[in-house]
Amino acid sequence: MPLHFKLPGHLSIDKLLLELEKQTVLELVTQHFALKTFYDSFDWRLYRKNLICEYDQSRLSSMLFIKEADSDNIVHSVQADQVPSFADDFSQAELRDLLRPLLDMRALMQITTLDYTCYQLHIHNSDAKTVLKMTIEHYDPIQSRVILDPVKGYDKAFKRMSKLLSNLGLMPTQEPVLVDALKTQGRKPKDYSSKLNIKLAPDMRADIAVKYIYSHLLKTLKLNEQGVIADIDSEFLHDFRVAVRRTRTGLTQLKQVLPVAQTKRFSSYFSWLGQITSEPRDLDIYLLHFETFKNHLPDTMKADLDPLYDFMVQKKRAVHAGLVDKLKSIDYYAPLIEWEDYIRSAAIKKPDETQALIPVKSLADRRIWTIYKKVIKQAGAIKEDAQPSELHTLRKTCKKLRYLMEFFQSLYPESTIKMLIRSLKEFQEILGTYQDLEIQQQTLKELGKEMYSQTDSPQTLLAMGALIEALGKQKIETRSAFDGRFNEFNQADNHTIFETLFKCGAA
Amino acid sequence: MKTIAAFNIKGGVGKTSTAVNLAFLASKQGYRTLVWDLDPQGASSYYFRIKPKIKGSSKNLVAGQLDLDDLIKGTDFEGLDLLPADFSFRNLDLILDGKKKPTERLHKLLAPLKHNYDMIFLDCPPTISLLSEAIFEAADVLLSPVIPTTLSQRTLEQLKAFLHDKKLKKLKLMPFFSMVDKRKKMHLDIMLTLPVQHPEILATYIPYASDIERMGSERMPLAAFSKNSARSVQAYQALWQEISRAMSL
Repeated sequence: MPLHFKLPGHLSIDKLLLELEKQTVLELVTQHFALKTFYDSFDWRLYRKNLICEYDQSRLSSMLFIKEADSDNIVHSVQADQVPSFADDFSQAELRDLLRPLLDMRALMQITTLDYTCYQLHIHNSDAKTVLKMTIEHYDPIQSRVILDPVKGYDKAFKRMSKLLSNLGLMPTQEPVLVDALKTQGRKPKDYSSKLNIKLAPDMRADIAVKYIYSHLLKTLKLNEQGVIADIDSEFLHDFRVAVRRTRTGLTQLKQVLPVAQTKRFSSYFSWLGQITSEPRDLDIYLLHFETFKNHLPDTMKADLDPLYDFMVQKKRAVHAGLVDKLKSIDYYAPLIEWEDYIRSAAIKKPDETQALIPVKSLADRRIWTIYKKVIKQAGAIKEDAQPSELHTLRKTCKKLRYLMEFFQSLYPESTIKMLIRSLKEFQEILGTYQDLEIQQQTLKELGKEMYSQTDSPQTLLAMGALIEALGKQKIETRSAFDGRFNEFNQADNHTIFETLFKCGAA
Repeated sequence: MKTIAAFNIKGGVGKTSTAVNLAFLASKQGYRTLVWDLDPQGASSYYFRIKPKIKGSSKNLVAGQLDLDDLIKGTDFEGLDLLPADFSFRNLDLILDGKKKPTERLHKLLAPLKHNYDMIFLDCPPTISLLSEAIFEAADVLLSPVIPTTLSQRTLEQLKAFLHDKKLKKLKLMPFFSMVDKRKKMHLDIMLTLPVQHPEILATYIPYASDIERMGSERMPLAAFSKNSARSVQAYQALWQEISRAMSL
């Protein structure tokens, strides 16, 4: 396994080589300029699995490495003229199979780039046999690295050189070069996650705590904005929309905390953002799940659905262009700037709103308990003949409950609140699937109408009809599982925990 | 994992050059390759500048008490390792003789290496003995360099008879002409007549060339110091291609 050392600032490469030449036989094999580019998904899916994607370019070769972050072990390496965006775009099956489950729908993006001078050296014994390989990577912005790569069967040479380097003041390190490179930009790996992690103190003023939550959501929204515009992958729009919905839930569910005028104004602004991003997101989902759709059909019909894919790609292009126009318009950024100014503004000493000064824990207890009761009431009222709209209303209430629990999770015992969120999530899944199937059926009908005048392939329309029918069957199956899932969520143990956690504070 | 033995009953026919040069070409193609220098003279170890010595005794090695992987040395070439010779290998016959199922020992010793290597070349000592039988049991291919002389013709026939007696069905014999000097009439005559009697002789031959002799002073495989266009380099490349085809690689 290669061993990395960091070169201290006072030791130049020339001086290091001079010192080493006094005690070993060194051969400089190559000295060349090179460029290292690190790739990962925006949400660090590779790094979270202890992997680093490194693309090394020099006049000698262009190599793509997948390495273990903590050991620098090469998991996979391949010569590559460029780095594709998506796992499926890699031509090597092995690499595709490695990356596909990790990246899923996310694109690989350039994280950072480092240029350096690379010295490759061989250390020889008295027979002029190479007994150790050494690479020096000389960087300007970060500490240079010396990497010892042992030759099998020559451990003594490796140990001797390690000691020699330590004596010269070089420090062994396991920190990837990527971490050093990010430090120069004030960044660190895994610095983006779509998960909420907001630390609140129970006795914080409710208005200050709520603004703090909104500032987190605004940060997520802004971080995803450029990815939405560039349409790098579908998750940018997904995370953007979640941040919008969470903000809107906060504004509508946490009333009498911030001034009514601001709450009302920004609530309608975020509602508008939800609307303009809805159609592009729906199309993203269809395109992502297209293979699953095809699998609903008999083999003989599968290919008939392909023109629908092309139609949706074209439609998505047009819809996305419309969204980009809106996101570049004053209608989008002017209110957003005002929103940012507002949530950054200092708290009013004596606000008029009745809930502004109460401790955030009381606000959280009260709102979560109220919405929880509403969920139970609405779900309990769902009978066999319930309309899809009733299930949709319940789904929206569940989402509100989930967002509130996620906003305030730091105020409650971690394992307990996480368990409740998980339980709610499982219940939500069935409602989500049902609603998605309902919308997919409706949208397919609308797309069918649009395509009717444009397609000369009646087979495609027939396949879409068969798909609508298959989705209908799946919807019935999903609906029949509702009672079971609700009973699981509504079990006595869960209810007791909800009561213990939120009811007392809400009283 | 494929095991290829470079073998001939006679010495000085080019076994070591064959093992070293073909192993180098295999590693260049991306095969993880190992050369095991079984000859106590240690010529292939010498070509790779590696001391012909192993940690521990041959006795323990044959008994399976040494981890073969601990004895392996990295050569100066990517993907090419060597298990060096040891002077004690001269006693391998005696040691094997004292074991149960002696001819299966080598095969058993090599089995754990299948995860680390795609290709193993055995550089064998010039003898026909218990060790040779163990080699024949372990190998998939027996590469036998043959100098086109009447004596070599006889040793090839002896080898074939031996293999026939032992009923080694798995083993594929691939003789080829080595150290060919086309200025010599006898070489030309034998190269015309011998393949008629022994059709398994490969079409590619290795010429007698001074740069093959230079391997001794350069101490590295031919293609690592000689030009790609050199006749001998091209001959080894053609030989490796023919063997690869015959092995369906």
